[in-house]
Amino acid sequence: MLEVVDVDLKGAEPAGEGFAHTFLPGEITVVLGANQSGKTDLCRLIAGLNTRATGRVWLDRQEISQLDSRRRSVSMVYQAFINYPNLTVAQNIGSPLRAQGIELPAREARVADIAERLSIQDYLGRFPHELSGGQQQRVAIARALAKQARVLLLDEPLVNLDFKLREALEVELRDLLHASNTVVVYTSSDPRDAFSLGDQLLLLDGGKKLQSGKPIDVYRQPVDARAMGLLADPCINELKHEAREGALRPEHVFFADDLALRGRSCIAFELTVIACETNGDESFVHGEVAGAQWVMRCDGIRRPRLGSRVSVKALEQDVIWF
Amino acid sequence: MNVNVSRWILVAYGLYLFLPLYWLMSMALRTNADIVGEFSVFPVAPTLANFREIFVNPVWYQAFGNSLSYVAINTLISLAVAIPAAYVFSRYRFLGDKQLFFWLLTNRMAPPAVFLLPFFQLYSAIGLFDTPLAVALAHCLFTVPLSVWILEGFFSGVPTELDEMAQMDGHSFIYYFFRVFLPVNRGAIGVTLFFCFMFSWVELLLARTLSGAETKPIVVVMTRTVSASGLDWGLLAAAGVLTVIPGVLVVWFVRKHLVKGFALGRVS
Repeated sequence: MLEVVDVDLKGAEPAGEGFAHTFLPGEITVVLGANQSGKTDLCRLIAGLNTRATGRVWLDRQEISQLDSRRRSVSMVYQAFINYPNLTVAQNIGSPLRAQGIELPAREARVADIAERLSIQDYLGRFPHELSGGQQQRVAIARALAKQARVLLLDEPLVNLDFKLREALEVELRDLLHASNTVVVYTSSDPRDAFSLGDQLLLLDGGKKLQSGKPIDVYRQPVDARAMGLLADPCINELKHEAREGALRPEHVFFADDLALRGRSCIAFELTVIACETNGDESFVHGEVAGAQWVMRCDGIRRPRLGSRVSVKALEQDVIWF
Repeated sequence: MNVNVSRWILVAYGLYLFLPLYWLMSMALRTNADIVGEFSVFPVAPTLANFREIFVNPVWYQAFGNSLSYVAINTLISLAVAIPAAYVFSRYRFLGDKQLFFWLLTNRMAPPAVFLLPFFQLYSAIGLFDTPLAVALAHCLFTVPLSVWILEGFFSGVPTELDEMAQMDGHSFIYYFFRVFLPVNRGAIGVTLFFCFMFSWVELLLARTLSGAETKPIVVVMTRTVSASGLDWGLLAAAGVLTVIPGVLVVWFVRKHLVKGFALGRVS
């Protein structure tokens, strides 16, 4: 169990004002936040690296805040593909084992085992720069796993990969990470990662904790518009209705003739179409409702005329009121 | 047509560059009589007598030894001092780091002649005069700042994440520095070695002033080879050929990284 206490990710608050959070072993906690929200600082604080973030870190009921990063049972994978350029893939993966003083035969067996789990067993004799980006990141992940640390930090590990590679590696990662009894912290700015990988979700905004919990619970009951916005793709639609303020997700706005709305209580809006984009599978219609910018996401190819006024509706139950 | 013209220009320019080297080599293989005699492109009666003289006469081969020893000491000291310094400049921010870094380079702006007198008097006073260390230390004043500048450029290109990763893997700093960081930067170190070597090897003014009878470097002996019978052309040329060779060797080893070195490591 990993606990962080009195955490201030920007290092700007007086002591005692920081937040606390508990990460459980055997679970993947996805830390979601925009750029500059302090995701990387949180990782660096836990790993004991140089950072502006302040706070105390407890691992399995022992405080490790003052412990040198060499002696913490923490491993980390960076966003950039970082490997030792002058060592082979096998030496790279075996590096933490070497530091632990494990003899060569045992080390080689462990390296071969981990390499096979990440399907890089054919490249063990090569150097990192001879591999593709995806393979380089696999090597970095393999090295992090080889350490068998109690905490594994993944700082946006897949963000530099193209999206097909990312999806393939994501599925593999989920199975791989669940197989161990490790605390896994996975930072991302993509809400899809929260649902595909996360057992737990921690939302950060401007260096502060916004909300935490199971991804579905956070999705259903966000504490405020920022929390809701972090989980929305691409953004939320703010509205005023009968003197109350609320917001709607793009996927919850429908054209008025949509069958899903039949026989249920709805709120109607008038949307002036500004722009449309489609990828064939779904379409995004951008428009304006009562002075606010809206976007709706609908299935299939929808192309209302630009500048036209269309009637849209939303289920009352889908509106989140603040 | 165009390709042909540019190729001929290239060949002509190559010949132009090569000509003085060829002439030096050809003089080294001739007798004095041949050199001052009738013009001929090729040596009339090639002889290795000039080279033999250098390898037999202690004045000559000791001069080479003296030069090589202070150049080697200088290169070693420069690298030993500049590698840690450049690492710190590339990894840490501290009060006055930028000013200190720039001040290092300003040392390069002073001509060596400025330091002649202080060095000469100081070294005479503390008994360092006429030792290889005297010239080596004096040259360090110029080679250390240059080395720090070159190495810092290369070192900054290595992501700090690599240092941190080694930390998290549990490696000591010493292990990381010698097993990972220095091997990764071996090209940079080679280039720096080349610049130190080249400065120290061809520098004449400080070397002449700070060396006495015991430590005459080759550049000094070469400029003084005037005997009663006049200049010994062939012998001088042979010494010139031997002086060029170490430089060629060093360039050969660092040729891949040399361009980046001239840009002080700041080419991505």
